[in-house]
Amino acid sequence: MLECHRLSKQYGNVLAVRDMSLTLEGPDFLSVLGPSGCGKSTLLRLVAGLEHPDSGEVRQDGTTLNGNGKFVPPEKRHFGMVFQDFALFPHMTVAENIAYGIRGLKRDRQKRVVELLDLVSLPHLSDQMPHQISGGEQQRVALARSLAPQPQLILMDEPFSNLDHQLRVQLRQEIHGILKHEGVPTILVTHDQSEAITFSDQMVLMNRGTLVQSGTPMEVYQQPSSLWAATFVGEANQLPVYWDQGKLHSSLGIVTLPPEVGEPAATLLVRPENLRLQAANSGGVRGVVRQVEFRGASQSIEVQLESGEVVRITMPPQTACAPEEAVSIHLDGFLCYGAAGQLLSSPKGLME
Amino acid sequence: MPHRTSRWSWLTAGLGLVFSVPVVSLLVLAFSAQHGVWSHLASTVLPSYLTNTLLLVLGVGVGTFVIGVGAGWLVAMQEFPGRRVLEWALLLPMAFPGYVLAIVYVEVFEYAGPVQALLRELFGWSSPRDYWFPDIASVGGAVFLLSLALYPYVYLLARNAFTQQASVLLDASRMLGHPSRKAFWEVALPQARPAIIVGISLALMETLADFGTVQLLAVPTFTTGIYHTWFGTNNAPGAAQLALALLGGVTLLFVLERWSRRQQRFHTRSTATKFPLRHPCPGIRGWLTLLAGALPLLLGFVLPALFLLGWALHSWERLPLDRFVDDASHSLLLAAVTAGLAVVLGVALGYGMRLCRQRLVRVLIRIVSLGYAIPGPVVALGLLIPLAQLDQRINPWLEQQFGMGAAYLLSGTLFILIAAYLTRFLALAFGTTESGLAHITPSMDETSRTLGKSTSQTLYSVHVPLLRGSLLTALLLVFVDVMKELPATLMLRPFNFNTLATRAYGYASDEMLEPAALWCLAIVVVGLTPVVLLNRQLRQAHTRQETPSHRLMPVPDLPEAAPAPEASHA
Repeated sequence: MLECHRLSKQYGNVLAVRDMSLTLEGPDFLSVLGPSGCGKSTLLRLVAGLEHPDSGEVRQDGTTLNGNGKFVPPEKRHFGMVFQDFALFPHMTVAENIAYGIRGLKRDRQKRVVELLDLVSLPHLSDQMPHQISGGEQQRVALARSLAPQPQLILMDEPFSNLDHQLRVQLRQEIHGILKHEGVPTILVTHDQSEAITFSDQMVLMNRGTLVQSGTPMEVYQQPSSLWAATFVGEANQLPVYWDQGKLHSSLGIVTLPPEVGEPAATLLVRPENLRLQAANSGGVRGVVRQVEFRGASQSIEVQLESGEVVRITMPPQTACAPEEAVSIHLDGFLCYGAAGQLLSSPKGLME
Repeated sequence: MPHRTSRWSWLTAGLGLVFSVPVVSLLVLAFSAQHGVWSHLASTVLPSYLTNTLLLVLGVGVGTFVIGVGAGWLVAMQEFPGRRVLEWALLLPMAFPGYVLAIVYVEVFEYAGPVQALLRELFGWSSPRDYWFPDIASVGGAVFLLSLALYPYVYLLARNAFTQQASVLLDASRMLGHPSRKAFWEVALPQARPAIIVGISLALMETLADFGTVQLLAVPTFTTGIYHTWFGTNNAPGAAQLALALLGGVTLLFVLERWSRRQQRFHTRSTATKFPLRHPCPGIRGWLTLLAGALPLLLGFVLPALFLLGWALHSWERLPLDRFVDDASHSLLLAAVTAGLAVVLGVALGYGMRLCRQRLVRVLIRIVSLGYAIPGPVVALGLLIPLAQLDQRINPWLEQQFGMGAAYLLSGTLFILIAAYLTRFLALAFGTTESGLAHITPSMDETSRTLGKSTSQTLYSVHVPLLRGSLLTALLLVFVDVMKELPATLMLRPFNFNTLATRAYGYASDEMLEPAALWCLAIVVVGLTPVVLLNRQLRQAHTRQETPSHRLMPVPDLPEAAPAPEASHA
């Protein structure tokens, strides 16, 4: 079990990481998601021991790695790391790169290298130099190299961001499979929400060096703790609301608030899949289709409401609609946020 | 596109041909000799030239490697008190030519010198039989002095390589369970190897070409041998043959360098600068690091400079100052003109090399780069003979056209001197440019070309700005080297024309130490200016790239190889 307790790290006068705490249990995968510059890489390097924290602790299975004046150097932590640009040693062959971190007899090391090359299905590349192989292959070699010393934890710093989209998705699944197979707990740092959502069991959302929200990817998506989190993870329509005669009015109609919302809500948040498009005059709120973006498995439709506001709606691809068509919109679910952007309601919003 | 490339081929080939004249004329001279010269040389002086030269090369190679790489590593990778000062101060010994160090250290270490006098005083010895003292006039002494004078080449290149390396690779090594010590040997050093080899090969070529130091220390080597064979016994073909043998050794060095460079061809992507690179050395360890880093500076610059200063002040009133002013202005003029020309030609050659694939062009360029290793006396020999012949042809024509002739228009003027300097030092400008260019990925060229720029426009608007650091380095190296150049100047200068170097050498040979001190000091001071200038420019390049939290995110010293670091990490 890895625990970080109130880690802080400052560069000059920039506070890169502020009071960050997180816990990773068992063979779980944890992803740290945040916009670039939010301090997530620094956090990872603090865990790795490549940076000294200004304050806070890192513990693993009860052993303190950082904190209380103690500092275990990175080479003694037995963590593997996969870097953004893979950091393969350019002057070593693939096999030499993988062997670099393995200790023991030459014969055993060679055996382990062969095992790992098989694991990442690249046995034919063992004598190639890093610059002779493709980006995806480099990525797999980097993974094999980090797994070679049998680390207790794998740290990945934006490992897929240097690859093209299709390769990224494919490799993500492949590497996910390999790591699960090896049973190594993993921390993945990324700015790509779909990567974080698909890759991990646990997710930590970070912004400006601080923790925004943690939970399973589903929790974070369905119950974003703030408007910022809601818009950073997934798409979201934000609609202003006002009170009139004890009721909440929005451009999507009058909304009954769930009882737990005790204070005045300022914003309604609606995911595009929680809006439904129907033929005009079928009830609901009226609007006009402005744009249709076909996405293969779905389509994203932009509708201008009568109030002038524009909302995005996700519909199955077979839904027929064209720009300038008049439509009706039905609301299936929403969340309420207060004036400071904080979450007020649970996701079971109801329409009056 | 092909016709553009061929324009560059013509240019580079032309330059290559011009600067291969000395070598070709040497070849002609050497093989025109009557038989038996070789066997005579082989039976008399050759063995001692050979052993001394080999020992010298070996010793200086090891010496500059240890000092240059060690100091470069400390400054690039450790944080200790005084590091920032040391970073530039370690370049200062560049201002000291080997023969000036020799002048100083011979005086300091001789029997009547201050060191031995102090030892006798301390231990009560009274005569040379009472104790053993290492003789500075020996191969060991020459290795010591040349290493001190030449390590900055290795230092500068190694330091830049270390600061520019992808620090992420060192992180990767540590994450794989190896302490940072191992990362030095297995990751950082192999990465820096091309730069270090370039540095050492520059230093070794200087060593092979060195004349003043070994002459003053009375160590017979090939260079002094060539000089004596030519001037002493008036045997030009014999001198040419010795020169060719020396060139053979140099070529070996070159092939080795090229070969190892080819082994290392890769472009490192530099995401290096995001996180701090240097390890803090707290407390006493920091001070010890400072001491180790400052040692070459003390021995190679501070102490000799203090001695020179003392001697010059001591003799101040008796010095012929107007003579000094003349000599100084001669030196400055020659150095400035040569350095400017060398950088322009060096860029042209480097860029031509990048564009041209033709084998012949590449071979010609290699011959130009060989110029650096051609010792001064040999260049003199190789230029004087063809230029004198050319003069003989031109002179009648001039008389016919203008009614007046100039018997030594080319061979007796500064023209031949600058030609000789360029032959020798163009390689410096070219080598520096080339290694800078190697850091610019070819996709930059392609981007610019696809945006509609010609090769020349691309050179001007993409490479030259990116190479700013390299070009400054080139300018500095050539300038300082011309200031320090002794043997070719000695032999090719117009009658009664003196530079600081020739006069200092003249005084020292006549054992007139005190006046020599002022001239030496001037060479050192003038040699200092570009060192200081270079450092300031490097620093400015530094600040321009700096982010608010710059101290923790060091940018590489020479901007040449640094694609702008990812700015996202606020």
